[in-house]
Amino acid sequence: MAVKEQIVKVWIEEGCIVCDACETAAPDVFDVQDETCEIRPDALKMEFTKPRTDSIVEAAEECPVDVIKFDVVSEEVADAALAAPSPAAAEAAPVASAPAPVAAAPSEPAPAAVAKSPVKSPAVSVAGAPDPAIQALLRAATARGGMAGRSRDEGGPEAREWSKKRADDLPPDARTSKVMQGTRGKDAGVTRRGLLAGSAAAIGWAAFGGTTMVSGVAFQRFLMPNVLEEPDPKIRVGTVSQYAQMVPGEVNEDYKPIGVWMIRTEGKLAALNIICTHLGCIPNWLANDRKFKCPCHGSGFYPDGINFEGPAPRPLERFKISLIDGTIVVDRSKKFQFEKGEWDNSDSYLSV
Amino acid sequence: MIESMNSLLAGETLLASGGVETVKNAINWVCQPHWFFVLSCGVTGVFLGGYRALTRPAVALFALIAFTIAYGLSAMDADFLSIIIKPDNVPITLMIYLFGFFIWLGFRQAAVNDENTEQGRPLIEAGSDDKVLVWPDLVYIELIAMVLCTVFIIVWAVVLRAPLEQPADPSLAPNPAKAPWYFLGLQELLVYFDPWIAGVLLPGLIVVGLIAVPYLDKNPRGNGYYTFKERKFAISMFMIGFVILWLVLIVFGTFLRGPNWNFFGPYEYWDVHRPAALLNINLSEIFWVQWLNQGIPTEGRWGLPHFVYRELPGIVVLLGYFFVLPVMLRVTVFKRMGDQIGLIRYSLLIMLFLWMALIPIKMVLRWGWNFKYIVGITEWFLNF
Repeated sequence: MAVKEQIVKVWIEEGCIVCDACETAAPDVFDVQDETCEIRPDALKMEFTKPRTDSIVEAAEECPVDVIKFDVVSEEVADAALAAPSPAAAEAAPVASAPAPVAAAPSEPAPAAVAKSPVKSPAVSVAGAPDPAIQALLRAATARGGMAGRSRDEGGPEAREWSKKRADDLPPDARTSKVMQGTRGKDAGVTRRGLLAGSAAAIGWAAFGGTTMVSGVAFQRFLMPNVLEEPDPKIRVGTVSQYAQMVPGEVNEDYKPIGVWMIRTEGKLAALNIICTHLGCIPNWLANDRKFKCPCHGSGFYPDGINFEGPAPRPLERFKISLIDGTIVVDRSKKFQFEKGEWDNSDSYLSV
Repeated sequence: MIESMNSLLAGETLLASGGVETVKNAINWVCQPHWFFVLSCGVTGVFLGGYRALTRPAVALFALIAFTIAYGLSAMDADFLSIIIKPDNVPITLMIYLFGFFIWLGFRQAAVNDENTEQGRPLIEAGSDDKVLVWPDLVYIELIAMVLCTVFIIVWAVVLRAPLEQPADPSLAPNPAKAPWYFLGLQELLVYFDPWIAGVLLPGLIVVGLIAVPYLDKNPRGNGYYTFKERKFAISMFMIGFVILWLVLIVFGTFLRGPNWNFFGPYEYWDVHRPAALLNINLSEIFWVQWLNQGIPTEGRWGLPHFVYRELPGIVVLLGYFFVLPVMLRVTVFKRMGDQIGLIRYSLLIMLFLWMALIPIKMVLRWGWNFKYIVGITEWFLNF
């Protein structure tokens, strides 16, 4: 006869990551559900757990988050039972006391029961073998063709039996699961995870489709001309008599705010665009120096618009000008460029 | 201190004798763009040549005091004062001092290190382990820096009454119309090149070139310690590209560019109507009119449009600059470097180098000889 520690109660604390490791090690004790792991109803009895001490200890060791707890009691067992002692249990014993949570077990038959935490044995890691928890994770992940973590919906037949009972009538481990099940959808085929993923995808695609549609509609806007928002390019700038006093080389700035300088050249009256041909600044008319001078980069233009200094590459542009019922009308949508020889076009000036 | 007292006394004597105007005129004369630019290059060259002596703390302190006195005396001039107290321009004063300090700091440590290396002593950085953890050390420092910087900017904006100007009027541009101070160098480039070159190509080349630097320059010397002797070419290129072509151009734009984007001396009144002759000529005009004594071609030849035929001399010059000059440099000045870095990296490096060099070349040609464009094809927006 020899003394051996026997597990009389096993339970799972919060924090299970449903990795399947424990069920792989002790399938008749642990039942991994979608969100947590439960102890199977049979395993709530100590007669059931005692002979499975080794596999439970193994499962506890392999648990990567150490949530499997159990109470042990030392009992004398037949030598035969000791013939193949669990190395894991033996190794775990010396280090059992240190970080063990105190497991109050008032209903324990043996007063000598000690709370025992499945601390991973240092001996194992020193031996060079990888962490048993990692091994178990790998084993569980590859079990059932790699589908171990999925395809599990309602657990075993026990779970189905529980689902018929009221939560209060259930053993404590199943109670949590029962309550948790209440939060799921009625349809057994719909899991919370699946519902979340599905609705996220639906929202995402709907948003994508909606955005695409809205931007598609908005894009139509760019295909249409901005006619309504554009001020009339034709402006009236008074009568010819207004400019009769001007001598050639003189500049009238009255219409600068709407983008036109009225200029006089030999025998001609023309409308000059005020935009600098370098980078689009508005030059100033310096009457004393008799030139247009851009304040941004120093381009200079003669009174007739010809560039002569600074970086401007070409003369100022002239607008179409015409006489309608005695009123001078400048059409800013039609421009005449000197370098293209367009200033000779009769639309670009009025003869005076 | 004694020197500074002397300069003060000298200043007062000048004031008393009425020679102040002479000094101002002399400085205005020196600040003509071509002289100012040549002077900047000269000062930079002298500094790089004599960095060991010139970065001695005593010399640096003297330079600091002398510059501060000169700057302070300049502030007695109303025109200069009106420039430096403009809220837009306050950062410039700060920038001048800061860049002076950091250039000195870097070169001072380089000078000490180079001397240590020559005499077999360890570097300043030897044995120092100033590594810190990102979290929390660096993140905390960054957080604190961020908060202090925000406070500083808010206080600055309140104290200086950050200038918000009147609503924009499309028919009225301020005169001079200046870019933000940090872009004044880029704005300066717009005077010399076609807008898409100065505004798109050159800034793009700056960015691309800076990204390319670690791939072009795989020389491990100078990694983690200050040195000038071991990295003369790289640091000189930085000094030209950053100090001269960026900082000096910012100073240009701030102090020397006045109304109508004309050049003014720092003590000169910004007269909107000051006559300034900027009668620029193109290379094509020099070539066809002055050298060949014939008119500018108006007819194409050899199947070329007339404007391409007209600009042929400039096109030839540019092709030579970009494709023949690299080969000539490869077998002469850059022979050793070309051997070391290989054909591809040499080609990229020399292209970036030539583009950078083109800027001061073009500027000096403009200021000195009223030279407008090497290639001026307005028809294709190709004004070089």
